[in-house]
Amino acid sequence: MKRGVREVSPRTVITRRDRRLDQSSFLDPVLRRWGRTVSLTDQDKEALAALPWTRRVYPRDAYLAREGEPTSICTVLLGGFAFRQKLVSDGARQIISFHIPGEFLDLQNCLLDVADHNVQALNRASVAAIPKAALLDLMTARANIRRAIWLDTLIDSSIFREWVVNLGRRDARGRIAHLLCELADRLRAAGIAEGEACDFPLTQEQIADATGLTAVHTNRTLQALRKDGVISLTSSRLVILDWNRLVEIGDFNERYLHHSV
Amino acid sequence: MDLVRDNPLELLIRKIRTHHPLTVEDQKRILDLPFKVRTLEPQAYSIREGDRPERCDILLSGFAFRHKLTGDGSRQIMAIHIPGEALDFQNLFLEESDHNVQMLTRAVVAQIPRDALEKLVLENPNVGRAVLVFTLVEASIFREWVLNIGRRDARSRIAHLLCEFAYRVNAQGLAPSGIYELPMTQEQLADATGLTPVHVNRVLQALQRDGLMERDRRIIRFVDWDAMREVGDFNARYLHAREFQGGLIHLG
Repeated sequence: MKRGVREVSPRTVITRRDRRLDQSSFLDPVLRRWGRTVSLTDQDKEALAALPWTRRVYPRDAYLAREGEPTSICTVLLGGFAFRQKLVSDGARQIISFHIPGEFLDLQNCLLDVADHNVQALNRASVAAIPKAALLDLMTARANIRRAIWLDTLIDSSIFREWVVNLGRRDARGRIAHLLCELADRLRAAGIAEGEACDFPLTQEQIADATGLTAVHTNRTLQALRKDGVISLTSSRLVILDWNRLVEIGDFNERYLHHSV
Repeated sequence: MDLVRDNPLELLIRKIRTHHPLTVEDQKRILDLPFKVRTLEPQAYSIREGDRPERCDILLSGFAFRHKLTGDGSRQIMAIHIPGEALDFQNLFLEESDHNVQMLTRAVVAQIPRDALEKLVLENPNVGRAVLVFTLVEASIFREWVLNIGRRDARSRIAHLLCEFAYRVNAQGLAPSGIYELPMTQEQLADATGLTPVHVNRVLQALQRDGLMERDRRIIRFVDWDAMREVGDFNARYLHAREFQGGLIHLG
């Protein structure tokens, strides 16, 4: 994601000329992902390239969308990680999904009036913000793009369902192993992981909030996975030492990620 | 609404219109979809994990649920469906189903060939948008279930599930008397909330003892809806119900 990434503060409008120069950095990861599932014509690609967008950079933990607020943009993650979360009324947080570069963070907001959850930057994150009206017009005009965007949201849905299973029916060790498998698998499919190693900027607290566990329980479980020689996890770097074992512990079956629809 | 009388897909239109407006033309296009009506017995599958989706079932009567099995065979229910809802919009465009859809009760479904449905939503942007909104609202419900199971205690989880069920049944105009038939065993409730059946039983008893609800086997009446909503930490925002269909019936 290094190429073309110029750090500008949120709400900075990039001029049309700059945008042309920068286009590839916005479109490449999205097109690569969509290319696996939908054949886009040159007209589709031109229409996508003509979308107005601005680059915004968010510091760690900054909110990209807040529950209950009306929405006017949809965002594609260009660099860094992000996550979606919801709070219960006593303030406890549940992370609903993690996102990696090339993914839309809030496609549902282009059709739903009010955000039903929060989106936060996990580390320093840069995004392309697209006015939702422009995205809607594009979806109306181009059936292939409608299909590609729809597919994205259906795969998001499938991941949410798997998380219901993970929280509802797996033990702590299984939940965490499953989460690690999912992230490693998605990073690999996106061409971001290097072999068995990948960037892994999640804190133990975030892992706990994603798996419905306490921080202490999460810490103990990660230690055990390390001690058993399944993973190595140091300073934002995850190395999976024994993938088959991790898959077995996490009861992980990649079908729900629909990599090759 | 004379237009839609006598066609079972009327129910689907009513459901879609709770989230997105449909023109008369749009409604005609939906009613023109080919379909076959089938009766399915309790436990019958609409689709199984790993199957290639060939059709989309619209639930006309009865109840259904989505579930997945873990490697050790335990079951997690991820959604409950009520009449008027599509059971397989989630599988549109996907090559294989990643979960099971099974009938909770004896049910009648209208089966629409997937090809016809895909053609309709790709060729007609407004119908496409309406169906997409439907699947997005389903996704929102899955997110809320992640929260429910991940961060609420047993009492809240059960109360939340009951509130959601009542709210959705109401929004479809299916419970004018304020009395709900919840066609789930305690084991199924446990599988939907990540609890054990024993725990579910204890919570249901406590909710009745505390005067929040009355229950006679599968029949539920909310005695104190506001209190129930508070226990369940229930905020209907995630259901994204809009009032195109003439407003929601107030819960009694």
